[in-house]
Amino acid sequence: MSTEDYDYLFKIVLIGNAGVGKTCLVRRFTQGLFPPGQGATIGVDFMIKTVEIKGEKVKLQIWDTAGQERFRSITQSYYRSANALILTYDITCEDSFRCLPEWLREIEQYANNQVVTILVGNKIDLADKREVVRQRAEEFAEAQSMLYLETSAKESDNVEKLFLDLACELIREAKQNTLDNSDNSPMPGEGKSISYLSCCSLN
Amino acid sequence: MNENIFLFSSPLSLSLSLSLHNSSYLLSLYFLSLFLSLSPPVFSSPFLSPSFSRHSFSLSLSLSHSLSGVCGCCGALRPRYKRLVDNIFPEDPEDGLVKANMEKLTFYALSAPEKLDRIGAYLSERLSRDVARHRYGYVCIAMEALDQLLMACHCQSINLFVESFLKMVRKLLESDKPNLQILGTNSFVKFANIEEDTPSYHRSYDFFVSRFSEMCHSGYEDPDIRTKIRMAGIRGLQGVVRKTVNDELQANIWDPQHMDKIVPSLLFNLQTADSRSPSPLQVSSEKEKESPVELTERCFRELLGRAAYTHIKNAVTPVLMHLDNHSLWEGKTFAVRCFKIIMYSIQSQHSHLVMQQLLGHLDANSRSSAPVRAGIVEVLLEAAAIAASGSVGPTVLEVFNTLLRHLRLSVDNELSGAYELTEEGSKVIQEHEERQLQEAVIRTIGSFANTLPTYQRSEVMLFIMGKIPIPGVHPILPNGSGPEGNRMIQVMLLKSLRQVTSGFQTTNMLTALPSAFLEPLLCVSLLETPELRLLVLQILVSLIDRHHNTHHFSCISIISDTSVLKLKLDKCSRQDNLFMKKHAQHLYRHIYLCCEEASSAHTHFHTLYTLLALLSIELANEEVLIDLIRLALALQDLAVSGEECLPVFNRCAIHALCAAYLNLISQLTTVPSFCQHVHEVIEVRQKEAAHLLPEDVFIDDPRLPASLEHTQECVLFAQSKIVEALGGSGYNAEKLATPYVPLNIDEDRLSKRKSVGETISLQVEVESRNSPEKEERTPAEEITFQTLKSAIVDSEGMEEAERARRRQVVEKFQKAPFEEIAAHCGARATMLQSKLNQIFEITIRPPPSPSGSLPASSTSSYAQAPPPRSVPVYEMKFPDLCVY
Repeated sequence: MSTEDYDYLFKIVLIGNAGVGKTCLVRRFTQGLFPPGQGATIGVDFMIKTVEIKGEKVKLQIWDTAGQERFRSITQSYYRSANALILTYDITCEDSFRCLPEWLREIEQYANNQVVTILVGNKIDLADKREVVRQRAEEFAEAQSMLYLETSAKESDNVEKLFLDLACELIREAKQNTLDNSDNSPMPGEGKSISYLSCCSLN
Repeated sequence: MNENIFLFSSPLSLSLSLSLHNSSYLLSLYFLSLFLSLSPPVFSSPFLSPSFSRHSFSLSLSLSHSLSGVCGCCGALRPRYKRLVDNIFPEDPEDGLVKANMEKLTFYALSAPEKLDRIGAYLSERLSRDVARHRYGYVCIAMEALDQLLMACHCQSINLFVESFLKMVRKLLESDKPNLQILGTNSFVKFANIEEDTPSYHRSYDFFVSRFSEMCHSGYEDPDIRTKIRMAGIRGLQGVVRKTVNDELQANIWDPQHMDKIVPSLLFNLQTADSRSPSPLQVSSEKEKESPVELTERCFRELLGRAAYTHIKNAVTPVLMHLDNHSLWEGKTFAVRCFKIIMYSIQSQHSHLVMQQLLGHLDANSRSSAPVRAGIVEVLLEAAAIAASGSVGPTVLEVFNTLLRHLRLSVDNELSGAYELTEEGSKVIQEHEERQLQEAVIRTIGSFANTLPTYQRSEVMLFIMGKIPIPGVHPILPNGSGPEGNRMIQVMLLKSLRQVTSGFQTTNMLTALPSAFLEPLLCVSLLETPELRLLVLQILVSLIDRHHNTHHFSCISIISDTSVLKLKLDKCSRQDNLFMKKHAQHLYRHIYLCCEEASSAHTHFHTLYTLLALLSIELANEEVLIDLIRLALALQDLAVSGEECLPVFNRCAIHALCAAYLNLISQLTTVPSFCQHVHEVIEVRQKEAAHLLPEDVFIDDPRLPASLEHTQECVLFAQSKIVEALGGSGYNAEKLATPYVPLNIDEDRLSKRKSVGETISLQVEVESRNSPEKEERTPAEEITFQTLKSAIVDSEGMEEAERARRRQVVEKFQKAPFEEIAAHCGARATMLQSKLNQIFEITIRPPPSPSGSLPASSTSSYAQAPPPRSVPVYEMKFPDLCVY
């Protein structure tokens, strides 16, 4: 029953241009709210959320980075240990999409090569201001062999799905890795289970 | 869920303390069955009420003696450590830790350290649950208990406990409640301060580094809480560093992956607090406790202080990155502050690493705007001053090479007016920004040079000298920036040189001013630009001044009594004499020609005066003194006769210079009649020709006559009287009677002519000069004994053959680098020496003639074109260096 327990722990880092809605996505997912007038993130932000997927507890450590150029050096340092990267752009902002190759270069440079990357087009609630058509983004994502999802932090569209899909993918990979290693030792992220209903503790 | 039931066993009664949180299933059958036989079970109604869920209450149960077995069973069921742990929690979290029970727990832990791990695990389990249920009071109590246990534990046993402790801290840090974060951090800091002596394998501080760094950037809405979180983050980082820095089993905290988080976080705090002006409220609170900035600075210093040789790079790189990203170079103050902290904190033997990194960064930024580069250079300057002797490290010339390269780059940029194409096309360069950069580079060069020992400084001087484009000696700029570029480079490099030489202290002028340095320097002085001449003069002044007498003579004036100056003097040493023998004529000539230049201004004369004064103080023996007086008289003649080429101001200035200088030198000689003559002349001038005295000439708006036609004899210094006065005191009157005539020297000509492009006339000049002195002074021309001999015997016949040869030689001299020529002739030096000696023995020599021109009365072949200063030179044994 304790929240301390988790079967998996994954570090997820959100990256993307300033103002594409990274913090809002995280807030929506972890706290269920959409902070209007969210200021620019300073450096890095940290949130944690535990979700249950197919009976397994998955703890998601979410590092939300600042998009501003001036914090680039500190944010880069967080890529390295990430299990997954959420590369975010704003569908109403062509620029943020054009910067994606640059971001991919950064990922290439700083993240470890097993990282799962997912491309997210945010702000689909502003459909009438859309500048990047879905197909284009999908093609781009496919070319880079990334997953692709469109979300709205404001309307809470696909936000849960984004993180849960990611968690599923990470679990799948983690299991694959354990199989590959054909090693029965527990995963590094795996916690040990503590039974609270043993008779000893009842007294 | 029922582990919250507290058991107190006593012989007769079992007191059950129940915490009823999930009371709905507290009354499980199991529970009832256990106490079935107890009489009478008292179950009051609140027991069932969920509204009391936060409170505990007791059940007093009477137990018969026969049930002691059950008690034992209970004890077995519920281990002692769990009971002890449970007991420290009060019923009401407001009450705080139950002190007495805590002591019991501590005692237990100490007496049974093998149980520590379980105690830790159980405590952390409880804490996790309390966090999840938002029972923060209990969380605080649990942490307090943990801290106390941690403090009480012995080093050896602490390992068992630490894992669960760290788990708890992590738990707290994962929470989004600021209070818990701070609480966790505080505990962590306490833990970090414990020195462990046993290695630990299973710890990972990755999360802590990440989280604490994140906390340093906290963007919490409430500024007070934000500050608290940030400070907690800083302290946390400090803790991690303390904990890991000496533990080889831990992930290396100096790895870039950690440093890239830690350092920017610290700098961010250092910087944000900087920009915020403290309000009065803050000031008052700062008195009580440390401000974030101070804390950050302390932490940063501590971090750097622990950095070993191999770590410096990883620690400094993020600093450079941060300053880049936040564009903090332009502002300078912050960058300088950062590096001051760095330089003062790191171990001094590592200073040069920082310097290297800064220089490397400067290189990397060569395409950046001038203010950025200026900022970096400024930082270098400050850092070099702090690092002192440690700043340069093993690659002295590399440092200067880099700086000089940037100087040149800046000049190129300024001239071309634009950077190479950048993203937004060509940027227009702010000229004054480049200028500032150049100034900064020059000052930095000086600052670096100041840290060097004398011998290295000489090296650096030569190195810089070698970079100065001197027509005919060093190659002109290859990039075709034209004469303007050349001139600017010359100015910049000479300014650098001036910086390097200022404060230069040497006992031996020969090593301080080797020919390889002095000759090109004097060449430069003969170029047209007044600015260059002034710089050369200043460089000479600072090199010659070894006793800090410059300030006495920085302005021309008639000093009525030099004893008030309290000049510091040393006897002229042997090396000094040698030096003067070798180079005096160069210097005199240079001074003379400098006066001859119409473009000389006030400052030139001031500096000339300083130079003359210093020469006579530092390096004068009797011979030099006489030469200097002759020079002064020659200058006076120049002023009198030079009406067609010199403006009135210059002539007056030269007169004034002579007056001031002769006044000084007369007092130095302490020959009364000489002093008297000088004094008389000056008095006459004061009455009749004030425009010939420095006090009247070197003012902003001097009242000068239209011409100096009517200058009378009595206002001039009379050579005859001086000769008489000095001759009477045992000075070499004969030599003194010989007027000084500056003779052109090949090298000077070379540069002078080349600078105006008259190479043809140079060759003519070279050919017409045919004296042994010439061969000796410029053996680079490959003149062998044979040519020399035949030149003596029949100079006319050789002329044709020599013409072609000399042309070649001159060409070679123009094109080959100086070093090559030097090396080439080095081998010949010995041979040349012996052959020369032979000649001199054969030839009937005139008595040692004063350096300078003799009346052409001698019959010997080389007295016909008597070489200045050549005779004394012949007499000495040539060191290899002299030959070139």
